[in-house]
Amino acid sequence: MSEIIELFTYPFVQRALIAGSLISICAAMLGVILVLKHYSLIGHGLSEIGFASLSLAAALNIPALIISAPAVILASFVIMFVSQRYKTSGDIAIALASSAALAFGVIISSVTGKSSNMSGYLFGSVLAITQDELIFAVIISIIIILAFVIFYNRLFLITYNEDYARSLGINIVLYQFIISLMTALIIVTGMRIMGTLLISGIIILPAVSAKSFARGFKSLVIISALISFIAFISGLILSFVFNLPAGASVILSSTIILILVKIFIS
Amino acid sequence: MTERLKLTNAVIKYSERVIIHDFSLSVNSGEMVFITGSNGSGKSTLIKTIAGLLPLSSGTLERTAKISYVPQLEEADRDFPARVNEIVLTGTQRRGKLLYSQEDKERAKHAMLELGIYELASRQLTTLSGGQLRRVFIARAICGLGDLLLLDEPCAGLDVQAHEILFAVLRKILDDGCAVLMVTHDESDINGIEGARVINIS
Ligand SMILES: Nc1ncnc2c1ncn2[C@@H]1O[C@H](COP(=O)(O)OP(=O)(O)OP(=O)(O)O)[C@@H](O)[C@H]1O
Ligand SMILES: [Mg+2]
Repeated sequence: MSEIIELFTYPFVQRALIAGSLISICAAMLGVILVLKHYSLIGHGLSEIGFASLSLAAALNIPALIISAPAVILASFVIMFVSQRYKTSGDIAIALASSAALAFGVIISSVTGKSSNMSGYLFGSVLAITQDELIFAVIISIIIILAFVIFYNRLFLITYNEDYARSLGINIVLYQFIISLMTALIIVTGMRIMGTLLISGIIILPAVSAKSFARGFKSLVIISALISFIAFISGLILSFVFNLPAGASVILSSTIILILVKIFIS
Repeated sequence: MTERLKLTNAVIKYSERVIIHDFSLSVNSGEMVFITGSNGSGKSTLIKTIAGLLPLSSGTLERTAKISYVPQLEEADRDFPARVNEIVLTGTQRRGKLLYSQEDKERAKHAMLELGIYELASRQLTTLSGGQLRRVFIARAICGLGDLLLLDEPCAGLDVQAHEILFAVLRKILDDGCAVLMVTHDESDINGIEGARVINIS
């Protein structure tokens, strides 16, 4: 036990804790909207596009964010537009785009001989966060939490019923844009930490757990964020104790929480 | 008397299928118009178009910016983790208005009291009966009332008491100058408002 406490005094562990907790909390808040609107797949699709963009950035030897941020943001708008426009085929479009992007990323990585980085992209490296990455994660998290607070009533209304919101004269496209942008930002920020394969899990899993017992929308958002935070901390401890990869341990503990919730609540 | 709604030579389609052919309608402030017609004749389609949810294929639609809408009930409306008062309050939202004022909260409370659902204020939507849910939707429209109220079969599933409450509310807001457009299948509804116009679309 004291070893674990001692671990938390290392700067790299502290960076992981701060960045990881903030990203987990933001991802889970957003996850509530995505789960309720049946957009769960979007996170998954975007993260694979994120993976392709990371591979490309490594191949071209330029900082990852320069490519991945615009690529993921653009992709989030396209996916949102397609799933709005062609309601039933949205999930097919996401599945197509994401597997194509994944293949593209793998090919780029292996052609350029940078495939050794691949596992870092896929599974993240929460313990290797730099000071700059930490600052970026903190800024993005603050933006997302602020946006959530400022637009809370509107996000609630639009998540509940877009048609009703439209009848009130509200600009739906603007808010779809805001939701897409927040999702893209979380993925770009979170994929370095959690890995592109696992980031969609921290968006979706806590919201699904919270949905089993939250009674209102506000409590759902708060409980989802809380579960995500607990899953992150316990996942990190799990990874230290059993020497497991951090990102996967966080997802594992989130999954265990979901199973326990399903067994004991419903 | 100001004109709240003016629909001229409206044609409304779902993909290529024409649902409404060349329909015109004008509604003034303080006026009550009932829309009747058989199932599938396009009443909801018409209301949705006026509410701004569906495009016109041709024709023109002029209306006041502030409308309130009570949609026809859909099962999906219930399956959402929200409380009754959270839903009722959304009726006060408008473009450019993000926060609820104290007055909005008062109006929501008043609307819930009026519709007899104040005891349900913190109940979950999923736990409501059909008639209770309909009262919630009516309260939502009433608490953020605009100049034109659109009601799509609001009486289906309402008990006698709720029906009377609704008509008392309608008479009051008509006196205040709101225009009301209501879809109904029931002859007795039409007799419930003096001087109402009836338009059959089938
Ligand atoms: N989303 C849709 N896509 C295609 N066709 C539709 C859609 N919604 C309704 N329709 C069709 O349009 C026609 C009019 O439907 P609408 O819902 O307006 O009827 P209604 O008069 O409100 O009927 P009811 O009395 O049953 O409520 C129907 O033939 C219906 O099948
Ligand atoms: Mg109808």
